[in-house]
Amino acid sequence: MQHYLKIELLRMFRNKRYVIFVVVFPVVFYLLYSNLWGSEVDQATGVKASVILMVSMAAYGALAASIMSSAVPWAQERQSGWLRQLQITPLPGWAIITTKLIASMVLVLPSLLLVGLAAVLTQHVSLPVGEWFGLIGALWIGVIPFVALGLTIGSLLPPDTAQPVAMIGMFGLALLGGLWFPVDIMPSAMKSIAHVLPSYDYASIGWNIVAGDAPETSAVLGIAGWAVALGALAVLAYRRATVRA
Amino acid sequence: MNAIAFSGVTKKYGDVVAVDGLTLDIPIGSTVALLGPNGAGKSTSINMLLGLLRPTSGDIKVFGNGPDQAVTRGDIGAMLQEGSLIPELTVRESVDFIRRLYPDPLPLDEVLRMADLTDLAGRRADKLSGGQTQRVRFALAIAGGPKLLLLDEPTAAMDVESRRSFWDNMRAYAAQGRTIVFATHYLEEADENSDRVVVIARGQVVADGTAAEIKSGVAGHAVSFRLGSQSAAGLDALPGVSAVEIQADRVTVRTGDPDATVEALYRKTTLDVRDLQIHGADLEDAFLALTKES
Repeated sequence: MQHYLKIELLRMFRNKRYVIFVVVFPVVFYLLYSNLWGSEVDQATGVKASVILMVSMAAYGALAASIMSSAVPWAQERQSGWLRQLQITPLPGWAIITTKLIASMVLVLPSLLLVGLAAVLTQHVSLPVGEWFGLIGALWIGVIPFVALGLTIGSLLPPDTAQPVAMIGMFGLALLGGLWFPVDIMPSAMKSIAHVLPSYDYASIGWNIVAGDAPETSAVLGIAGWAVALGALAVLAYRRATVRA
Repeated sequence: MNAIAFSGVTKKYGDVVAVDGLTLDIPIGSTVALLGPNGAGKSTSINMLLGLLRPTSGDIKVFGNGPDQAVTRGDIGAMLQEGSLIPELTVRESVDFIRRLYPDPLPLDEVLRMADLTDLAGRRADKLSGGQTQRVRFALAIAGGPKLLLLDEPTAAMDVESRRSFWDNMRAYAAQGRTIVFATHYLEEADENSDRVVVIARGQVVADGTAAEIKSGVAGHAVSFRLGSQSAAGLDALPGVSAVEIQADRVTVRTGDPDATVEALYRKTTLDVRDLQIHGADLEDAFLALTKES
């Protein structure tokens, strides 16, 4: 299974779509946005925009990585017969979905670390060591619901449908969750949508941490609830996709 | 012990019966061709052997165990009809990945050599031609050193030259005492590469034996001559005759013993025999006769 994980990581690092959307995009947008607004200060918390944007773009990158590395590759493997190739080896069925989950979580790390690095190097962002660990750790563990969403999409849809659905899901969650624009400037209808989305809970945990606050309980419960619900859905969808008639 | 034992296996998809009470034993070490037209139930049978499909009724054993257990133990390798590779991985990476999933795999270099892939080992799967991809899929099937190798129409995407080397490679693998079952609708392939041919039609075994036995068992030879306006009555009673067909003014008599049939034709009938021709049956004739819709 270790070797399976290695193979999964290797192929994604060679995948242009993954590298562009996941590794290049968040860093480039961070550099762009922080150059435009980085020195502004948030009135409520006193945190500089360069720090808030770092959290937002890291969250976007992690969100994109987790969905992009799960939904479409998995849908393609099901359709192309690669899944059947694996099913006729001694590899147990649970190992496939478990490896996909772990691989997606590892593939989230480059965008988290690179956006952080870009923030430190270009905007001289500095945080206490504890906050760095808290932030990276929370954003890392917090991607579980998004990986589950990606695997659900990949289990239920053929690749040519999974592709647009994953894209819409990813940008929709990023946009409506306030990762691209602050939720505060949204109209009230959109604001109430934002507040129920896992992406908002996810990013707001990060924003709280860099403001030196403890994450809000509602956000932590929200993301945990989404993780359980989408995780269960992913397992059901996976069983349906691999059922033997 | 048999490598494979089907007992009374039936598989239905709704009202369609794909496999109809199939009973078949394949001993360890044999190379068997499953020969049949499209839709005969060959692929369904192979998928059931792999546990990818469940029989509606009946029982399947692979080395004495259920298919799932045989797969888990790494006893089976298979090349299924369709299947592509992970585009971003090289040939070596894909083959090595699959082989490491098995408890007792073949050495990587040996697998690559046996599938003629040594020169392509570093190439990514998305840069391979169709025939090269088939070779990699063969390599994936043998990588774990399975005791039973299943090949479902393995040469479908290959040109003549790659077919020849494919069967050479298959025979080299079989020579190590392994059991091989391959499905094909090419008669020549079945004839040349197996030591037993099982003809399947409409989900049932319609003939089972060596290619030579199947040829001689069905029709055998065809004796034909111009009948003109004479009656064909009594021709079916001649020695060795199994069937009589009339087309325009010619009659064709199928016989297992052409010498006796022709002798009796001249001596024991009063027919005016003109333009006599005798054809030896080939496997093609046998196959068509066996698989003809009844």
